[in-house]
Amino acid sequence: MTISKTLNGSALTLALEGRLDTVTAPELERELNASLNGADSLTLDFEKLEYISSAGLRVLLSAHKAMSGKGGMKVIHVNEIVSEVFEVTGFCDILEIE
Amino acid sequence: MGKKSVAQMSEREKKRHSLAAKTVGRIILSSFLLGAVALLIGLLIYGSNLFRQSIDRACKTARLAVASATNAADSIGLSKEIMGIYRGLTPEQRSLMESDAEADRETYRGFYTVLDSVTRKGGAYDVLRHMLRGYKNDVDFVYLAMYDEETSAMVYIADSDQVDPLAPGEWEKVDRDKMMRFLNWDGEGDLYAIGNTEKYGWLCTAGCPIRDQDGEICEFLLVDVSIGSVAAKLTQYALQIGVALLAATVLIAWLMARRMKRSVAEPIDAIASAAVAYVQDKQSGADNSDHFSSLGIHTGDELENLSRIMAGMEKSLAEHEKEITRVTAEKERIGTEMHLAAKIQSSMLPHVFPPFPDRHEFDLYASMDPAKEVGGDFYDFFLIDDDHLCLVMADVSGKGVPAALFMMVSKVILQSCAMLGRSAGEILTKTNEALCSDNQVQMFVTVWLGILEISTGKMKCANAGHEYPAIKRAGCPYELYKDRHGFVIGGMAGMKYKEYEMTLSPGDRLFLYTDGVPEATSGERELFGTDRMLAALNETGDAPPQEVLRGVRRAVDGFVQDAEQFDDLTMLCLAYKGKTE
Repeated sequence: MTISKTLNGSALTLALEGRLDTVTAPELERELNASLNGADSLTLDFEKLEYISSAGLRVLLSAHKAMSGKGGMKVIHVNEIVSEVFEVTGFCDILEIE
Repeated sequence: MGKKSVAQMSEREKKRHSLAAKTVGRIILSSFLLGAVALLIGLLIYGSNLFRQSIDRACKTARLAVASATNAADSIGLSKEIMGIYRGLTPEQRSLMESDAEADRETYRGFYTVLDSVTRKGGAYDVLRHMLRGYKNDVDFVYLAMYDEETSAMVYIADSDQVDPLAPGEWEKVDRDKMMRFLNWDGEGDLYAIGNTEKYGWLCTAGCPIRDQDGEICEFLLVDVSIGSVAAKLTQYALQIGVALLAATVLIAWLMARRMKRSVAEPIDAIASAAVAYVQDKQSGADNSDHFSSLGIHTGDELENLSRIMAGMEKSLAEHEKEITRVTAEKERIGTEMHLAAKIQSSMLPHVFPPFPDRHEFDLYASMDPAKEVGGDFYDFFLIDDDHLCLVMADVSGKGVPAALFMMVSKVILQSCAMLGRSAGEILTKTNEALCSDNQVQMFVTVWLGILEISTGKMKCANAGHEYPAIKRAGCPYELYKDRHGFVIGGMAGMKYKEYEMTLSPGDRLFLYTDGVPEATSGERELFGTDRMLAALNETGDAPPQEVLRGVRRAVDGFVQDAEQFDDLTMLCLAYKGKTE
C-alpha cells in the first residue's frame, strides 16, 4: 500500500492506494500518529483503495475518534467493495462518507 | 582434489610450508648476490691498488736507476757505440738476430764484441750490469735500451739478468706508436706502458729517458714488473674472501632462520593449533573455550595483533552464541506458550459434535481455523434454557494474540449477558457498553447473535457489523439474508442495537461465517466473494451440516490454492428440523 500525503494549511488529505489490511494497517496508523497533531481536518481519499479489512477499520475508528473533537474526518471516493464493508460493519452510520 | 588442511599434512609437507625454510633460502640467495657484488667491488679496488703499486714501484726504480746509470759509468757513450754499430749493420746482418740457429745469433752478437767497453772486465757494460742488478730486488727486470726509429726496433744495451742475460746490441721489434709516447715524453708524471708479451706475459714497463749534453735521447732506462703476479694475488684474495663470505652468509641465514622460527613460525603455528582446537571444541559441543586468549603471544608486531583479534573474536563469538541460545530458548518458550494458548482458545469453543445428542429438533456443526496460531474469530452456541438456543458468530479486528485476548473477553461477556435471559439487542448493547469502557486500543468485534425458540422456529437476531447470514429455505437455494446492521461492538460507546425476527421452518438451514470466507484471496489477488460461497453451499444440497462446512472449505482451498491463508476461517451451519414426535 502507498500513502500520499497532502497538507493544505491545517487540512490533511491522505490518499491510499492498494490494500488496507493487517499487514499495511500499522503503516497508516504510524502515518496518522505522526500527522494528526498538526491537522484540524482529515480527508481520506479511497479512490485507489482496493480492499479494507477489520484491522484497517480499527485504524479508521481511531482516526475518527481523534478528529471528532476537531474539524472531523471524512472519507471520499469509496469504491463498491469498501463501501460494502462499511455498510456491513455499520461504519457507514458513523463515518462521514462522500 | 582440494588442498589439504594443515592438520592433515605430514611433517615433511609442513616443513615445505615452513616460513623459516623459505626465509633461509631467500637470505642465502640475497646474501650471495650482495656478497658477490661486494667482492667484485673489493677486487676492483684492491686490484687497481695493486696495479698502482706495481706501476709506482717500477717508476720509482726507474728514476733511482737512471741516476746510478749516468753516474756509475759512461752509459751514454756505451749506448752511442752500440747504436753506431747497429745502425752500421746491413739489414741482413741485423736479421741474423731473428734466426732460429744459435750460431747465427752468436755471429750477430759477435758484431759488438769488438767494443772494449763491452768486453773489458770493469768496462762500462760490466759496471752497468753490476749496478742494474742492485735495483732488481723489487722488480722483475731493469735494463737499458735504445729505440731505433728507422727499424722500429728496441736495441738492448745492458740488463740485470744474471741467468740469461741479453747481449748488447740484441734487438726486438716494438710497436712504434707505443714508443713514440716514450720518445716525446715531456717529463711530467710517470712514464709507463702495459702490454702482453709472448716471452714474459703481462708486463708493466716504466721508463726514464737518458739524454746527452745536447738534450738528445741516447737511451732509456726501463723497468719491467710482471703483472701476472698481481692477477695471481687477486685470485687468491678472491678465494679467501669468497670462503669467508660463504661462511658468514650461512651463519647469518641460520641465525635469521632461528629467530624467524621463534618470532614468526611458532606464533603462527600456535594460532593455527588454537584454531583447530577451537573448531574441535565447537564440533564436540564444548563451550567457554579460551584457546586464543590463552596463547600469550607477545611479539609486539602484527602477529600479536592477530592473536589479540582472534581472542576478541573468540570472546564475541561466545557471547553471540550465548545470545543465540537465549533467543532460541525464548522463541521456544513463546512457541510453547502460543501452542498452549491456541489449545486453551479452541477448548473455549464448543467442540464436541454433535453438541446436544438428545435434541433432535436441530443439527449443528461449527469450525474455526485461525490464520495464526491463535485467532480473533469465534463461534459459540449454548442452550439458554430448554427451549432457547443461542448462536453467536463473531470476528475481532486484527489477528494473533491481541485479537485472541479481546475475543476471550467478548465471548465471556456475550454468554453472560445471554444467560441472564436478555433479548438479542440487549445482549449486544450491554456487551458494547462493557467492551467500550477502558478500550484503549480501539479494538472492536463484529457479532451476529441469534436466539432460536426451538419449539416454534422463531428466531430473534441482532447484527453488530457482521457479515450477512446465508439462509436456505427448504427446497430452495442458499441466499444472503440482508439484515439490519448496527455498528461494530467496542467501537463506539452508547450504541443501541435493534433486533429483528425471522422464522425457521423444518428443513431450513442457516449458515454463519466470518469475513475469512468471502475475503479468502487467491494468488491473483482475487477475493472468493459471497457468490462463490453461495455456489459452494448449494453444491452441498441437503448434506449434514458437517459436510456443508467441509464443502465450503474445499471450495475455498481450491480457490486460494498455494496462497497463504491470510484470515481466520470460521463457519457455523444449523439445520432446523422442527419438532419431531
